[in-house]
This record gives sequence, C-alpha cells and structure tokens, in this order.
Amino acid sequence: MKSQQKKYMIEISQKEIEELRNSVKATSRKVMAENIARMKKTSKNRPKAMEYFDEVADLFGKREKEIQAAKESGKKVIGYMCLFAPIEMILAADAIPVRVNSGWYDTSKLGDRIVPVEVCPVIRSTIGAKMIGLSPYLELSDALISVLTCDGMTKLGEILSDYKPVWAMPIPRVKDSPQSLRFWRDGLLTVKGQIEALTGNKITRKKLKSAIEKTQRATKAFRRLQDLRKGNPVIMGRDAMLVNQTYMWDDITRWTEKTEALCDELEEKVRRKEWACSLDAPRVMVTGTPMIWPDNWKLPTLVEEGKPQGVLVADELCSSERLLYDPVGVDEWTMDDMLDAIGERYLMASTCPCFTSKDGNVDRINWILNKIKEWNVQGVIYYVVRGCMSYAMEYTRIKKVLDGINIPVYYLDTEYTREDVGQMKTRVEAFLEMLTARIDI
Amino acid sequence: MITAGVDLGTQSVKVVILKDGSVVGRGKAFSGFDPAKAAEQAMDEALMTANLSLSDLSHVTATGASMALAPKADSTVSMMGADAKAGIFLFPKARTIIDIGAEEARAVKCDDRGVMVEFVVNERCAAGAGAFIEAMARALEVKLEEMGPLSLKAERASPINASCVIFGESDVVTLIHRQESKPEIARAVFDAMADRISSMVHRLGVNPDVVLLGGVAKDVGFVASLKRKLGIDILIPEFPEFAGALGAALTAASKAERSQK
Repeated sequence: MKSQQKKYMIEISQKEIEELRNSVKATSRKVMAENIARMKKTSKNRPKAMEYFDEVADLFGKREKEIQAAKESGKKVIGYMCLFAPIEMILAADAIPVRVNSGWYDTSKLGDRIVPVEVCPVIRSTIGAKMIGLSPYLELSDALISVLTCDGMTKLGEILSDYKPVWAMPIPRVKDSPQSLRFWRDGLLTVKGQIEALTGNKITRKKLKSAIEKTQRATKAFRRLQDLRKGNPVIMGRDAMLVNQTYMWDDITRWTEKTEALCDELEEKVRRKEWACSLDAPRVMVTGTPMIWPDNWKLPTLVEEGKPQGVLVADELCSSERLLYDPVGVDEWTMDDMLDAIGERYLMASTCPCFTSKDGNVDRINWILNKIKEWNVQGVIYYVVRGCMSYAMEYTRIKKVLDGINIPVYYLDTEYTREDVGQMKTRVEAFLEMLTARIDI
Repeated sequence: MITAGVDLGTQSVKVVILKDGSVVGRGKAFSGFDPAKAAEQAMDEALMTANLSLSDLSHVTATGASMALAPKADSTVSMMGADAKAGIFLFPKARTIIDIGAEEARAVKCDDRGVMVEFVVNERCAAGAGAFIEAMARALEVKLEEMGPLSLKAERASPINASCVIFGESDVVTLIHRQESKPEIARAVFDAMADRISSMVHRLGVNPDVVLLGGVAKDVGFVASLKRKLGIDILIPEFPEFAGALGAALTAASKAERSQK
C-alpha cells in the first residue's frame, strides 16, 4: 500500500529511522543522567524533594508509560507548541496536555533535511524528533495545538500536519486593542469545539471551573517556588528550572503537590540558613529564547558551574518562569467570564516578542525590571539561538533600558550544538568575573 | 614580587614575567597540537630572558582559549579581564580596548576606574580576526607580513563581504577574476575586517582612548583601515601580541598581593 503523499516530510527507510532513534535516545539518556548528576554535585544541601522531579524529568520513563496507559483506557492526549494553548480547556475535556517542543540537539541536524539551517533550532529539532519518532509526548499526542506566534512555530504546525491533526490558533499581534481580545476569544471558542469533538467530552461550566481551579492551585505553588528565590539562594536555578519544565508534561495535580512539598522543605532550609551555594555568587537572570530539557541545558550549567560560580535566581523564559506565573483570574464563574479570563491570562500576560503594542513590547521590559528589583538580580544574560529573530531584534531596546539602571547585560548567541560550549564558557565566565568585580568595589 | 602570565591562544602561547610592575621577560611558542607543552616552552624562554627560575614566581595566572590546559597555573582570568588589565596598565586613559587574535576579536569597555563594565566578542566566526588575513594572503599568494604594506599602496577601495572567511575568499577570487590589483584586494580585505570590528566596537560606544591589542595590531594595513573606519587615533603598545599574557601577569600580581595581606 502506498503511503499518502506528504507535504513536507521526506521518505526515510524504517531501518534508518530505528537506527537514528536508538542512537539519539541512547545519547539523550546519557545527557539526562549527566545533567542530573551535575546538578546534584553543584547544589550544596540539595532538597530531597528534587528526587521526584529528577525522575519525572526522564523523558523516556514513568510518565511516558503513565500517559500510554491513560490513552489505552480511552483518554486523549493533546500536544501544544506554544504556551498559549488553553490548558484549562484540555483538562476540562478530561484530556492530557503535553508540550512537545524539542530540546534535543541531535534531531536539529535531522530537521536540516527539511528546512534550511537558518531556521531556529527549536523548530528544526522538533521536526527532526518527529522524523524519527523520538519524542514520546509528540508521538502520544492525538492532535496538536499550533499557536501561530513566530514564523517558525507557524510553519512547524504545517509540517507536523503531515502526521497529526493540527489545530492552528492565530494570535493577534497587537495586544492593546479591543478587537485583539475578541479575535483571540473567537479562536479559543474554535479550539474548544475541536477539543470537544476529539475527546467526545463537552466542556461544561462545572468542568471548566474545576480545571481553572486546578491550574490556579498549580500557579500558587509555582509562585511560591519563585518567591523563595528572592532571598539568599536556597535552591539552584537549574533545579528550579527543572521543576518549572516538568509542568509541561507531568500530571498537574501531582506536580502541584510535589512543588508544594518542595517549597515546604525550602522554607525549612531558609529557617536553618542552609543555602544552595556561596552567598557571594553573582545573581543572574536569563531572558530570551526558550531553553528546553534535556540537551539545551548548557547555559544554566555554565553559569552555575562557572569559575566564578553564578546562581540563576530568575528568568523570563516561556519554558520556565513564564509558564505559570500568571493565574487565570475569574470574577464570576459563568462560562463567559471564564472564557474571558482564560483569554486574558494567555494573551495579555504574555511577554513574548511576537507581540507589539503602542509602546512596543513594554510588558516584557516591565517583567524584566520587576524581576531585577524583586529578585535582586545583578546581571542579565540575553540568550538567543540563531534564527530566533524576534528575540534577537528586541535586544537593542532591552539593553538601553538596562544600561539606564546600570545592570550589565550580555548577549549570548548559540545553536543546538554541544561543540560551542568552550566558547560560551569563555564568555559566560568573563561576564561572571565582571559581575564579581563590580560587587567587590 | 615576581609573577607570570600565560596566554594560551588558539595559535600561539605567550608568557610575560612581571617584576615589581615592569616586564622582565617574554616567551612565545606555537600552540600546535600540545598547548600544555607549548606553554612550558614559552615559560622556559621567558624565564631565561629574565634570568629567573620557576621557583622565583609567587603566582602564575593563565588566560586564553586553552587556559584550562595551562600547567602549573595558580589561577585563571578571562581573556576580556586580561585585556582590560593590560590596556589600562599600558594606557591609563584607555576606555575602549580592542584585542584581535588569530581566531577571535574582542572589545572591552572600561569605566573611569579602569574596571571592565562591558564586552563584546565577534560572533563565532573568524572573519573579523587574524585567520581571515591569513586565508586572504594565501588566496593572493603573498606572505602574511606583506599584506599590510601592500594594501597601503592601493589607490582605491573595492568592497568585499567579510561575513565569513569562506565567502570572503570567494569574493576575493571574484576580484582576482576582475583583474583588480593585489594592493587593492589587500586593502579590500582589511577594510572588510575593519568594518566588522568597527560595528562591534560601536555596540559598546567608541570611547577614547581606544587601544588595539593582539597580534593583528602589528599589521599596518589593518590598523590604517581601522583608523579610517573609526575616524579616531588608536593607541598600540610595543608588544601587542603579549598583552593578554601581561594582563594575566598583572592579575597574578594583585592575587599574590591580596594573599600576602
């Protein structure tokens, strides 16, 4: 039987697919184990509650099997690429939400067979992961929500539609206009219908309310964790980032419980003054392109294992602190109000550079300034992967703002590759050295 | 107090011995396949010229791309940190310090206290660095040292693209086919490099005094192009290629001083 003609994907033999998948998977297991071992080594007094997250971070582990089993019992899995996908609606339809962007370096090279190397590696890597069926969560997805944010994400959905039903969700690119919210709300209604059709479950007022309450509880735990990072470092940035990231695929209720337990332990450590690293370590914030587990862990590793050592206390990444920081704020529990609240939470709170407004992406600037002030940030690393245009272009403005408040910022560009770690190390360590020298004076 | 700085660069290792604030010895060796061995050779040479032995050194600081391979280093300093130290030591009024080595170009901004406040590095491409001149000299079939003097004879400038060494080379081939003269092509190479360096420096702001360090500072052709581009005078020390090692030796001196206190 001849397979259906694909729009983008090339034909690869089953044998090659299997060989590539096995070898990339083996590398990935090694990378995950190594990353966790290094995180354990770096963190003095690492919380015991991290063990849960170390385990759930295994992309080929228990969580994959759990979702597999849920699927077999009739549940649907809905994947998404950008954090604008309305998780509450997925939960309300009794489906499982998973984010499917890829952090695997090796698969970005495979993506080069479909799109040019100039394309952002997050996109190329996700394409490559699909080519060899590497990502358990992408494979388990029954449909994908493709939010049309940047150019890369827009085309990624199109390419993945060679395999799965893809629901494109257009976003308005100007936030501060009344039409925008209406346009976005219409899109939400469309996707609500698509979720209902796929799952066969109606998203009722009661179910949506309980889903919103579920993510509100998650947000509360999430905020509690970030707030604990305002004072002396009680948790290393990489550990907090891992907790944040696992939200993208873990069971949300369990994730919330485990995060609360982690926070309890951290509060105890604060009382006992058990810090995660030297109090002299410069406090760094990262802003820019999403940084995705497991391979794209090199920048946080370089900062926290640097000579001198730095500590990540905050970030402005859609793969970490932006995931869950803003709660869905509902006034009245009517369907209309809930939809409004979901619409606002995803659209208005976003600091993604795909938006502009009368005053440009001023929301992002305010987010960064607030983090610097409240989290006592001493230096900012502006992280961009090649091909990530909108983040690259906003640098000039952000730098002007940070120069104005005398906060050093360093622009670090990289690729989905392990080979440039040496060069990155030179730059990151020079930056940390500079921050240390400033603190000394 | 006697200290040493070892700069393990991508192409060569440089060593500077510093005694009570003056340079008393220098040594240099090609990095080759074994940078650690090259570092030992350069150190031996520097100690010999200074008439000292390893045991006379109270602190050794390493810098450069391969600093982790330095044998017997007591500490390390980033290349940018070393540039700032050396630039201010050589020219106390320096506020912008540019260092161009074989494969990397950097610019460092210092405040009025001589403390590094910002830096930029060329974007993972050798087109703004010494390796570019070498590749272009090969394409023109002239010796590396001849490139500079040759370019000064050019009567006009022909533009080439220096976004990448490989593409730059194919642009040079185009100029050869158009039968442009060698001096003009040589000047085009330096102009293209100066273009890249100058936009890099402009990101920091061009604050005088501007100091140029690194091996490429010895190339008269490049220096002429960069001065034209930036439109201001550039200060160059006597041994620009040893500046990184000097910065490391100065770092070593302050570390040794601090530990004595």
